[in-house]
Amino acid sequence: MNDSSRSLLEACDVSKSVSGPEGRLDILRHVDLRIRPGESFAIVGASGSGKTTLLGLLAGLDTPDSGSIQLDGHALEQLDEEARANLRRRLVGFVFQSFHLLPALTAEENVMLPLELEGSSAARPRARTALEAVGLGARRRHYPAQLSGGEQQRVAIARAFVHGPRVLFADEPTGNLDQRTGHHVCDLLFALNRDHQTTLVLVTHDAALAARCDRRIELDEGRVLTTVAGTPA
Amino acid sequence: MKLLRLALRTLRREWHLPELRTLAASLVLAVVALGVVATLAARIERGMLASAAELIGGDIGIGSPQTLPAKFAAAGRQRGLTTTDTASFPSVAFAHRQTQLLDVLASDKHYPLRGTLQLSDAAGHAYNGHAPSPGQVYLDHRALVALNLKVGQPLQLGGRELTIAAELLRQPDGGELLALAPRALMSLTDAEQAGLLGAGSRARHRLLLAGTPAAVQDWRGWVQKTALPQGAELITPEQTQQRMRTAFDRAGAFLRLTALLSALLAGVAIALAAQRYARRKTSEVALLRALGTSRRRVLGLLLGTLGALALPAATLGLLLALALSQLAWLLANQLFTNMPTALPLVPSLAAAAMGIAVLIGFALPPLARLAEVPPVAVFRQSVTRRVRRFDALYLIPVLVALGLIWSQSGSLKLAGILAASLFGVALVAALLAACLLWLARRVAPGAHPALRLGLAALARRRSLSLIQATALSLGLCALLLLAVVAPALLQGWRQELPADTPNWFALNLEDDQRAGFAHDLAVIGGQQLNMLPLAVGKLTAINGTPIDRLHFSDPRAAEWADRQLRLSWSGKLPPSNKVIAGQWAGPDPAQPEVSIDTRWRDMFGMKIGDRLSFNVGEGSLDARVGSIRQVDWSSFRVNFFLLFDPAHAGGLPHTWLASFYLPPGHARPLAKLSRAYSNLSLIDVDSLLGRVREIVDRVGNAVRWILGFSLLAGALVLAAALAASAAERRHEAALLRTLGARRHQLRAAAACEFALLGLVAGLTAALGAAGAGLWLGHAVFHIDSFVPPPWPLALAALGAALVVMLLGLAGTRKVTRTPPMRLLREE
Repeated sequence: MNDSSRSLLEACDVSKSVSGPEGRLDILRHVDLRIRPGESFAIVGASGSGKTTLLGLLAGLDTPDSGSIQLDGHALEQLDEEARANLRRRLVGFVFQSFHLLPALTAEENVMLPLELEGSSAARPRARTALEAVGLGARRRHYPAQLSGGEQQRVAIARAFVHGPRVLFADEPTGNLDQRTGHHVCDLLFALNRDHQTTLVLVTHDAALAARCDRRIELDEGRVLTTVAGTPA
Repeated sequence: MKLLRLALRTLRREWHLPELRTLAASLVLAVVALGVVATLAARIERGMLASAAELIGGDIGIGSPQTLPAKFAAAGRQRGLTTTDTASFPSVAFAHRQTQLLDVLASDKHYPLRGTLQLSDAAGHAYNGHAPSPGQVYLDHRALVALNLKVGQPLQLGGRELTIAAELLRQPDGGELLALAPRALMSLTDAEQAGLLGAGSRARHRLLLAGTPAAVQDWRGWVQKTALPQGAELITPEQTQQRMRTAFDRAGAFLRLTALLSALLAGVAIALAAQRYARRKTSEVALLRALGTSRRRVLGLLLGTLGALALPAATLGLLLALALSQLAWLLANQLFTNMPTALPLVPSLAAAAMGIAVLIGFALPPLARLAEVPPVAVFRQSVTRRVRRFDALYLIPVLVALGLIWSQSGSLKLAGILAASLFGVALVAALLAACLLWLARRVAPGAHPALRLGLAALARRRSLSLIQATALSLGLCALLLLAVVAPALLQGWRQELPADTPNWFALNLEDDQRAGFAHDLAVIGGQQLNMLPLAVGKLTAINGTPIDRLHFSDPRAAEWADRQLRLSWSGKLPPSNKVIAGQWAGPDPAQPEVSIDTRWRDMFGMKIGDRLSFNVGEGSLDARVGSIRQVDWSSFRVNFFLLFDPAHAGGLPHTWLASFYLPPGHARPLAKLSRAYSNLSLIDVDSLLGRVREIVDRVGNAVRWILGFSLLAGALVLAAALAASAAERRHEAALLRTLGARRHQLRAAAACEFALLGLVAGLTAALGAAGAGLWLGHAVFHIDSFVPPPWPLALAALGAALVVMLLGLAGTRKVTRTPPMRLLREE
């Protein structure tokens, strides 16, 4: 089996439910999917369809009630939270809708965070390079509050790529941006994804954004409704 | 009523919120701290007044050079008080062809109203009794020895023949340290019939009264409105036991300050919790407003909830305060014997009221602003708060704090000093914390990631960090003052009194006994013998004007002018005396000179160069005020208000006062020595000093744990700050966990954050305690060489850092376990 046919991320018969005041609520039901290395993959669906829960499970932020999730050959449901944190630090990058930058750290310090967590000795120069790659080399000493929404998301993208993750998870990356800025940010995200040979998994409402991915699935009440091949940009 | 029900329902629903629990805990702590201290202080005050009453022989009285008009006693009896009349005067007694000058107290049969009159019968059996019946007299041991008499034998006193009914062992107002003549107690009827109290007598009359505190207070109020006869003055328990009072007053002031600090810190915790509560309630209030609830009703609901929380919390605080003060009182058991020990309720009730004032004062501003949230805020969060440069509402907590400081310190001046000191410590803490944060920015790039994250966390919550550092500093400062500085000060004070400081006084030594006494004392191991002449005289004129033609604005001056004064002379300035004006005369000045104590300067308004005239026995002496001395009256040395030069005063009739050091365990040979010199009175200073120390120690031990309140209040502020920042911390933890941070990395960052915070607080507290210690050492204890111990303070600062770090880690334990999935849910 060559590298492109082997899946980097695989979900087999994954279900997740929560208990509420009115009893058990199924959020995901028997989800199966396989994502290959370097592929871009979109998860779409209406609010409450289970998109974010699926993203969280694929990224190892949570564990399924039943079924199995393999990330780069590791069965996530068999690992405890500390082991999954280790795996995330090595293999995973994140971009969030609300950017989630720490307000008291400069742009550069925010980008340094994943490198520092893994104990890298060259955190600063690598963070600088990552900021330059997103066009913010000159603003590295600025605090998040001094940056626009688009700039903050570019810092978040630099942070997501800086430690060379194998897979990047993006949760509504353009949700808090205007259309034009969102478009620029998306271009950047896809370009870096291509350059770094990273696998991209994103959750979005934006049909145009989903269409730029290699493949997309649509979730409805926790089930995979359709799987569609996209139109690569 | 409907609003109250709604408020109660809200409270029940929201009781699980940490903010409301912090509000309640802060109120309980404030009430307990203020209540315990106030209740104990009231009890000790009562105990001291009662023991002072024992010394007076009644609860209150009037002393006068003439017989008092009957209306004063009648007014007392009208108020249900019991009364007794006494008169004291010197008189010569005759027996077996011998004469002896006696200090006589004549009284009616009710004497004493308070305290005990201890007597001994012919067989030597001790018993408690009352004043003698007409025809009888009691004599003390010295009088019996001097006149060679026994109980049951007759003597002549004031021209009447009286039978000695008992030996006088102890009488309530016989506690004066330097009683000069042997004492006798006789019936007032006999004294009147013998003409001892008529015109021209030197008798000093006393009316003593006793009864319920309310009745005594009422009579006192009446007397203060009534003109007292010339030379008469009130005798109050407050005037007695001055030295013990001073110790208690200092301890009391310190404890009140601690309680005040705890209450103010609780106020800070309340303010933080109320801010957080207001933030949490913003969207709910916006919704209520959008649904048509008026601003007034919203405010009413918020205040109703606060009230529903305050009443049970204040009640709990009140009960705890009463229980704890009762416990402390039991720990200090037998502090005062024969005391009324009822638990006073008023101080705790006042503390509860003060606690509620603190709660409302500190919680009102954010809640009042919360009620102003506009209905449109349901759509746009950004319109919820109008930022104001100056918000007058925030003056309320400042005013409440100032009011509290004023009520606890009792004087505007002291309140000002206290407020300034608190502000000073707060400023130092804030400056140090700000410096640390600034330094953090400089050092951070190269620092360890955990340290950097910790520093970043402190910087992120800059104002909260400053508040936490300040509150912890104040709490720790109070604790360090008591735990480190106070023992060092006491140690220093004890070292100031060398081991061979005189511990015995001998009075009434005659000229011809001096050599023999010195020799005999040396044989039994007495050391450091020092003899001072002691004369008794009266002030007759100031600057040539006879004393009876002078009017003194200070009533104490009139009293002293009328009194027999103890005078001495010395060529050298005695220890524990300091000349603060003029020059010490030395052994042989050209003209007679007298040195006066500052108290005399203040009472009489005297100055250098004034001329004072005295009658001493048959002789007289005119002397110029050559110097003014500051005397340390707490030094337990022999000191005099008036000291003459020996060249001019040496010829006055006098006896000698000897002070010496006798190592412990020499009581028996000393008793033998005292029998050989039967006119001598021996006073054991050690036991007096020991009694004062014992009482201060007992009170100190009983109330030391009150200091813990201030630390607890500091911890409460830390908890409130942690609660206020919990959501933010959880968010950060979730982000870092998502990025792959291990739990121990988060814990290391939190440990760094709180250790730095603790270090700032500990350092500020150590500096504050050292500064306060220096001031206390110099200004209060007069130990010029006192230096606060640097190492224990430094260690305490480090210890504080450790404790704060552990507390912080405990408080953020849950945060490090935040599931990373939370971050996606927050989107």
